[in-house]
Amino acid sequence: MNRLARSFIPSLLLLSTLAVLSCQKDFLDRKPLGQLTYENFFQNAEQAIQATNAVYNQFRSWDCVGLPYLGCTDIISDDADKGSTPNDAPYMLELDSFTFDATNIAFASVWRGYFRVVARANIAISEIPNIDMDAALRARLVGECKFLRAYAYLLLVQWFGDLPLITRPLTGDEYYAQERQPKAVIYDQIERDLLEALEVLPEKSQYAAADLGRATKGAARGLLTKLYMVKKDFAKAEQYALEVINSGQYSLLPRYSDNFLPVGENGAESVFEIGCVALPAPIAGPGASPYNMIQGVRGVPNLGWGFNRPSDNLVASYEPGDPRREATVIYVGEVLPDGSTIVQDNPEIINERYNQKAWVPAHPGLQDNGPGNIRILRYADILLLAAEALNENGKASQALQYLNQVRKRARGTNNFILPDVTTTDQAQLRERIYRERRAELAMEQHRWFDLLRWGRAASVMQALGKQFFVPGKHELLPIPQSEIDLTEGRMRQNPGY
Amino acid sequence: MKLFPILLLGLLAHTAATAQLRVVGRVSDAETGEALIGVTIAVQGAPMGTISDAEGRYALEVPDLNATLIFTYTGYVEQQVALQGRTSLDVALVPQSEVIGEIVVVGYGSQRKSDLTGAVGTVKTREIERIPTASVDQALQGKIAGVYVVPASGQPGAGAVVRIRGTGTLNNANPLYVVDGMLLEDASFVNPQDVESIEVLKDASATAIYGNRGANGVIIITTKRGKAGERAAIALNSYYGTQALTRKIPMANAAQFAQMYNELRGQPFFPDPEALGAGTNWQDVTYRQAPIASVQLSAAGGSDKFTYNIAGNYFNQSGIVRQSEFERVTLRLNNEYRVNRTVQLGHNVSFASANSQNAPGVLLSTLWMPPIYAERDSTGRFSDPTFFGTAIGNPAADLFYKSRNFSRNNRLVGTLYGDLKLGEYFTFRSNFGLDYGIARSRYYEPVFEVSVSQRNANDRLELGFNENRSWLWENTLTFNREWKHLRLNALAGYTAQETRFEYFGASRSNFPAGIDELLYLSAGNDTTQLNYGGAGEWAMVSYLGRINLTLFERYLLTASFRADGSSRFSPKNRWGYFPSFAVGWNIAQEAFMANQRLFDRLKLRASWGVVGNDKTQLYPSFGVIQGNLYAIFGPNEALNTGATLTTLSNPDVRWEETSQTDVGLEMALLNGRLSAEVDWYHRLTYDILYELPIPDYVGSAGNPVVNVADVRNRGWDVTLSWRDTRGKVSYNLGAIFSTVRNEVVELDARKSEVRAAGTAQGDFATRTIVGRSIGEFYGFQVAGIFQNADDLNRYPRLGNEKPGDFRYEDINGDGKITDADKVFLGSPIPRLTYGFSAGFEWAGLDFAADFFGVQGNKVVSAWQMARFGVYNWHQRYYEGRWTGEGTSNSVPRVTNGGHNYRMSSFYVQDGSFFRLRSIVLGYTLPPSLTKRVGIQRARFYLNGTNLWTRQAYDGYSPEFPGSSVFSAGVDYGSYPIAKTVSFGVDVTF
Repeated sequence: MNRLARSFIPSLLLLSTLAVLSCQKDFLDRKPLGQLTYENFFQNAEQAIQATNAVYNQFRSWDCVGLPYLGCTDIISDDADKGSTPNDAPYMLELDSFTFDATNIAFASVWRGYFRVVARANIAISEIPNIDMDAALRARLVGECKFLRAYAYLLLVQWFGDLPLITRPLTGDEYYAQERQPKAVIYDQIERDLLEALEVLPEKSQYAAADLGRATKGAARGLLTKLYMVKKDFAKAEQYALEVINSGQYSLLPRYSDNFLPVGENGAESVFEIGCVALPAPIAGPGASPYNMIQGVRGVPNLGWGFNRPSDNLVASYEPGDPRREATVIYVGEVLPDGSTIVQDNPEIINERYNQKAWVPAHPGLQDNGPGNIRILRYADILLLAAEALNENGKASQALQYLNQVRKRARGTNNFILPDVTTTDQAQLRERIYRERRAELAMEQHRWFDLLRWGRAASVMQALGKQFFVPGKHELLPIPQSEIDLTEGRMRQNPGY
Repeated sequence: MKLFPILLLGLLAHTAATAQLRVVGRVSDAETGEALIGVTIAVQGAPMGTISDAEGRYALEVPDLNATLIFTYTGYVEQQVALQGRTSLDVALVPQSEVIGEIVVVGYGSQRKSDLTGAVGTVKTREIERIPTASVDQALQGKIAGVYVVPASGQPGAGAVVRIRGTGTLNNANPLYVVDGMLLEDASFVNPQDVESIEVLKDASATAIYGNRGANGVIIITTKRGKAGERAAIALNSYYGTQALTRKIPMANAAQFAQMYNELRGQPFFPDPEALGAGTNWQDVTYRQAPIASVQLSAAGGSDKFTYNIAGNYFNQSGIVRQSEFERVTLRLNNEYRVNRTVQLGHNVSFASANSQNAPGVLLSTLWMPPIYAERDSTGRFSDPTFFGTAIGNPAADLFYKSRNFSRNNRLVGTLYGDLKLGEYFTFRSNFGLDYGIARSRYYEPVFEVSVSQRNANDRLELGFNENRSWLWENTLTFNREWKHLRLNALAGYTAQETRFEYFGASRSNFPAGIDELLYLSAGNDTTQLNYGGAGEWAMVSYLGRINLTLFERYLLTASFRADGSSRFSPKNRWGYFPSFAVGWNIAQEAFMANQRLFDRLKLRASWGVVGNDKTQLYPSFGVIQGNLYAIFGPNEALNTGATLTTLSNPDVRWEETSQTDVGLEMALLNGRLSAEVDWYHRLTYDILYELPIPDYVGSAGNPVVNVADVRNRGWDVTLSWRDTRGKVSYNLGAIFSTVRNEVVELDARKSEVRAAGTAQGDFATRTIVGRSIGEFYGFQVAGIFQNADDLNRYPRLGNEKPGDFRYEDINGDGKITDADKVFLGSPIPRLTYGFSAGFEWAGLDFAADFFGVQGNKVVSAWQMARFGVYNWHQRYYEGRWTGEGTSNSVPRVTNGGHNYRMSSFYVQDGSFFRLRSIVLGYTLPPSLTKRVGIQRARFYLNGTNLWTRQAYDGYSPEFPGSSVFSAGVDYGSYPIAKTVSFGVDVTF
């Protein structure tokens, strides 16, 4: 090799090395491929809408509306038992019998599910205001998120009592530093969110058809009514319930059972519900929930897992001839509402019964692929809350008007059943309204919260023979053990656990 | 090669002034008995010397017959022999490679073992070949002190988890692999039979040259090469064996299950449990005996211009779980070309093509499935076990319907390098490495229905495709010069590496039933098609330098430095700097040691250095927007796209760093028969990267990567070996010991503890605090069983316990069972790992046995925290369970609720074990016989692997590496390892 080549080769290599060095800054600057990042998202109206939709999305998750949710609402109450085969999901039995401790995975599940709603809402609420876009739409989207955050907190505060109050995305230093705030503080935040949402949200009829199902003024008022009922602020409860009623946006469906069928989805009686759709096989799942499958008939026909069985106590609680009982319970031997088949006896299930309100007609099936919208707030609920508030405010006759509206619809054309209630005695009427709520709203995940705000959880549970229910303890669920462990006890446990 | 001793001779030997006494003799190889030509023979303390002739003979004048002769020969152990009056002296030299391996491969070069200042362990090809496996890692178990190898699983073709010096400390504690100069994260493509040597770099002096990737140790794999001037050797190596479960877990049988179920229900649900007999042992359904086979054909040789090694291998292993297979073809071409006096080029290229069938996940259902069921019911349908809960699927049905799951992996890994000599002392090397892989997957699931939770309503064919490309370019300049009393080796370099991958997949449904040749996307319904895809990349730039100094053959100094820039971190945390220093002292070379005969080699060395680790997510500082979060609105129930941040990130994440101090003593005694190496190490890892669990109220779907803790590992590595020849018998004995004390020194400022390893019952199994080892088990201490109502009143309870439930210890004596009563229940980190080996050769017979053990660690059987009646139970529950007052004070009653599943001492078991890792008996036909038919060497052998294990743990092998060091030692249901018996043939032509 000649001298030229000898010096040439190393210099060439040196030069190319230097060439790589010179572009080294770019060489090491790598960003996620094919994925948007927090830094380059939240740029336009489209993304503002997407960030808002992502909050609604979380409500369809297992953690929000799956078996743990049904356990912490219906199964824990007197409306339902665990159901299914005796061995399936024993952790749910513990909810029914009040033998759980803080490690029962149901509590961690709903806690996680609804705090993720809060987190997604917080991101949207803090980022959307900075986006350059149509101001009205921007305000509406933030209002929707505030409504959804309020709804998540309202559930959480009724279950767990005092809560960490998180209203913006947390930074690393704050992850472990949260402490539980008194529930009055949580109520205030819920109220603020709902009032601010009410300002900017449209009425149901003002939405384009394609947006039906988004939070509305009516939904915000309805939730405010619930909040004030929980706080026993009956004057404000009355005010907002009547605002819903007088808005002209809602009416009872002529037939009670239609509320739980596809025909009733986003219908005249719907104040708020979570939209779900079951797509056929290749893309099953992205629009659906596990809600229907978990409660579906187990055996023949094979529609699901058969959890959340309407209890003997619920079945016995109806007034004679109340057709709502048949609309709420599927029995063995019953022809399914769409006439498709007869429910056959499954010898593995004791006292087989199913929640008919979670039943859905033929759909593509598949795991977790439930098509039924999940009804959160019905007009009938609002009417009964109005009646309850009015009665508490000493306006019995006005209360009767709304109570009897609900009974009349239930009665349908059969005048031999469910006569109008006429008593104006506050205490008697209160009992009638309480009973009506149970009959009208059974298996719709309201009962436990009603018992709590009426202060009747202990007496009802003890009357049922639930010997392990401890008054003063079991009115609140335990804070998930993992939260206490991860915060090193900063998250305090509820009394008695 | 023979020139070197002659040159040495020139330096050492001066002509004797006066003719004196004459000694004659012959020098031979201790192993083969063949004559050694050119051995230097010198007289201690006198200026005389000679070299042996073509027949190994020598003649030498000595000043007196009490003199000591020194025999030195490259590649052999130096021997000193006192004449003690003899005038005839035959000497057999022991090949050095057999004793210490004179040349040791280190990062970016190689070094004389005697010059080494770092702690480096070496394993040679013969020891690796002994274990029939597809994985180089698995062959390392129990071979090198301080290297702890846990089989990742018994799955065919599976690799292993390797931990060097202490259960790392890190979220990803895997070492760096350097295969023929290519830096890689795994070596799964390497065929163990192609390996010449494996060096494990343990201390910072050795690893710091690899900077940010050296923190977990470095494994350098050198594959076989041809040797210049060697006659061509063609070899055939083949083995065939059969594998089986090492042990079955004794689960309750059908009668026992039924009996317990009756107790659970409190009524005779099964009227006559005994009549059910043994029922089905589901381990017999899932596991089988399975063959393993390998055939290797290779040719190696070379001239002074060109060397080559060509090898081809076919490996086939069936899994002991049915429906699992692994098949691999590897080809290798390692050539080197001496272009002229200054330029040398070479390449090491390997191509591996692997096919595998992957069994569905049936390991847990196999244990949990009630034994009262047969595989199929009387109508021929697969038994439906969902009476006992939706969580169990019938494993026989899963194996039947879900096993058309195949993957195909083609991988080309190669390096191409050129050396250019610049003048007398400088060498420039440019090395370009490429790792290119294409992995494809194919899964078809037919329509089937076993139960409400084990069914598939639509058939589906899913294809996946992943392309991975990684390139590395290294340019180094080496300066090498020897002076009279000084050897200097200096290295400077610049390297860059980039890895990029992209994957996509597609699927369709509605395939014509039962026709395998139609299982291609084109035969599916195109209205059902779906696809997905994604990509990622990382890059790194590094500068490195090193100086090795050897003074007077005895004072050694090494200093190295590396600066690394990594794309994974944000610009403010991007660069890491990693220095190291080491000194060594070859005491045996000192003048005051000249008269001792005990030590052939005695070296003291000490090192300190800093290494790093960037093995974490590719983009840990970016918050990634998840985009498939649909919401449903409107009468048409349209999917409205939703997108937001669901998993939080940590923009401040930075390097994890380890500083390590090592002091070592190496010695060879008694003419090289005994060698020993003792190292003390102290390793401090700062800012351990971990996906630290955050409370659920934060609302993140995943945990951000955080620099969470500082951890110290301290311990000793000891290697002892004895090797001798007595008559025709040569034998060896070896032992390794390593100890580790792991201690958390500091935690993230926001935390005084880390809880990890969640159990299915809502507890955490481990708790990490300052002052204890990382990931220690934590929970209630079981004090006994509540025997009766009196007990329930007398002792504090957790909740609504009944007689027969666990009574937990009230540690703080406050009359309540609360979190404050939880205690530490042991560490998953073994205090001691050790291995023994023994072997001998005699008259063509060879024998070797390797033992391996760990001591002082605990494991948690998380899969046993199962609610009975939903899952079957271990027989220990059946036999020990409480059935009434006084029946048991350790195992609870049958229940499927309550608090018996909480993390407690009941689930913590001794993780110690001692295993006969391998045993080999071989016979080599006499060369005199085989050479007549043109065969240089023919050997047959019988090999047994994992044939015997002593363990206390009542599951499969108690080796659970875990996904992180915070969750190691937890058995969530792992793939059991197999024992293997095989027969092999090695033939060299």
